[in-house]
Amino acid sequence: VKITVDGAACTGHGRCYRLAPDLLEFDDEGYVTIRDQTIDVPQDQIEAAEEAAATCPEEAISLLDD
Amino acid sequence: MTDTASGAIEPGLGCPVIHEDYSRLREVGCHWQIAKEMRESEPVFFNTFAQGYWVFTRHDAVRDIYKNPELFSSESITPWEPEPIYRFVPTQIDPPDHIKYRRILNPWFSPRRMDEAETMVRSICRRLVEEVAPEGHCNFVREFALRYPTEVFLGVIGVDLGQADLFLQWVEDFFAGFGGDPDSVEVMAGALQSIREYWVDALAERRGDAEPREGDIASYLLHSTIDDRPLTDEEMLDMLTVLVLAGLDTTRAELGYMFRHLATHPEDRKRLIEEPEVIPYAVEETLRFYTIIFGDGRKATRDMEFHGVQLKKGDMVYGLVSGANRDPSVYERADEYVIDRKRNNHFGFASGPHRCLGLHLARREMQVAVEEWLRVIPDFRIAPDAELVERGGGSMMSLLDLPLEWEATS
Repeated sequence: VKITVDGAACTGHGRCYRLAPDLLEFDDEGYVTIRDQTIDVPQDQIEAAEEAAATCPEEAISLLDD
Repeated sequence: MTDTASGAIEPGLGCPVIHEDYSRLREVGCHWQIAKEMRESEPVFFNTFAQGYWVFTRHDAVRDIYKNPELFSSESITPWEPEPIYRFVPTQIDPPDHIKYRRILNPWFSPRRMDEAETMVRSICRRLVEEVAPEGHCNFVREFALRYPTEVFLGVIGVDLGQADLFLQWVEDFFAGFGGDPDSVEVMAGALQSIREYWVDALAERRGDAEPREGDIASYLLHSTIDDRPLTDEEMLDMLTVLVLAGLDTTRAELGYMFRHLATHPEDRKRLIEEPEVIPYAVEETLRFYTIIFGDGRKATRDMEFHGVQLKKGDMVYGLVSGANRDPSVYERADEYVIDRKRNNHFGFASGPHRCLGLHLARREMQVAVEEWLRVIPDFRIAPDAELVERGGGSMMSLLDLPLEWEATS
């Protein structure tokens, strides 16, 4: 599974990296660092990634099947 | 309470018509009840209060208003006042310029900055809790929830804490008029004038500095640029004014509701003491379930068909955040406070480009308040004779008083 963040939609609520602190990080302005990037989700982070996607008020996060 | 559910469909409008003043004081919880009744009966109403505006009650429409700033301008965010006497920056600036101002301010309220500020936040909180603990009772809103975020916020932006009482009074006066009560507009204007004058003087005092002063936001703005030019005085004053208004009042309001919940739910207090890692989820659920945002206003930028009604350019719309946050089409157990809810995409901090600038600060303040309070005062209740009323939903809803009592800690 991969995770991606739509950079235009993300406004930096910060709920994703709080729910998935071992997967996602934030930058100096409070945005998640993987805006407009796609990264692999390790097996033990899939649940956290799903919660992060579901909690984004901007619906900016998508999970992609391999 | 409200006759919204019985409103008849108006042929010319395509939705029921109501006439409701949301600015008045009501018994605590009434605003969420009104929002629920409206959401359950109709997706959209036309409220003939003031010049008249559309009220969208459900999550999908509120989301679409927030997501489409090109259709819904923030030129006014109060639907009963399409031409406000103030201009907040960046609150009332639309894309594409909006983000330029936000990027100047974002680092001041970033998670990293809040990590750095946490020691200060915690020590202010601890001092205030330890002050009231031996008394065995306090008016939580006035003695704790007003003072704590005010001191923290002024500390974060670099204002002398000795000014706290002045700022508190101005903020109270401003929000008296913000909700649409016509009798309070003069009081609101006076408060705006006073806040502005404070910042005019602060900017004047710092203008000659060759370097920005560390941790001083007024000084920082004097050294900031937008499109490769310095900010104008007007821009700086419009930014500084809204920071104060947004930073002091809102956290107090959320803290009031959160501690009212904890006072009446001993099982939740116990859970948070035993599992402090749940506190961030409880904070987020408070922001959903007990949102202080009754609704959020925008101005239509063109004629359009939107969620079943025909809007004209210049029409004011009101996205009922209180309705959206408890919409069962989005949330499981929407009408319950689920203390460890994880999938929680609430609009308590709004959404879209104007999402709350101070949300990382607000969360941190709420989390620290719960941790520090429960550490010293694990058991507390609402004083038995207390009558709890909340300020109207025209402004942010807020408990005016919350008398709590506990076994004094000697």
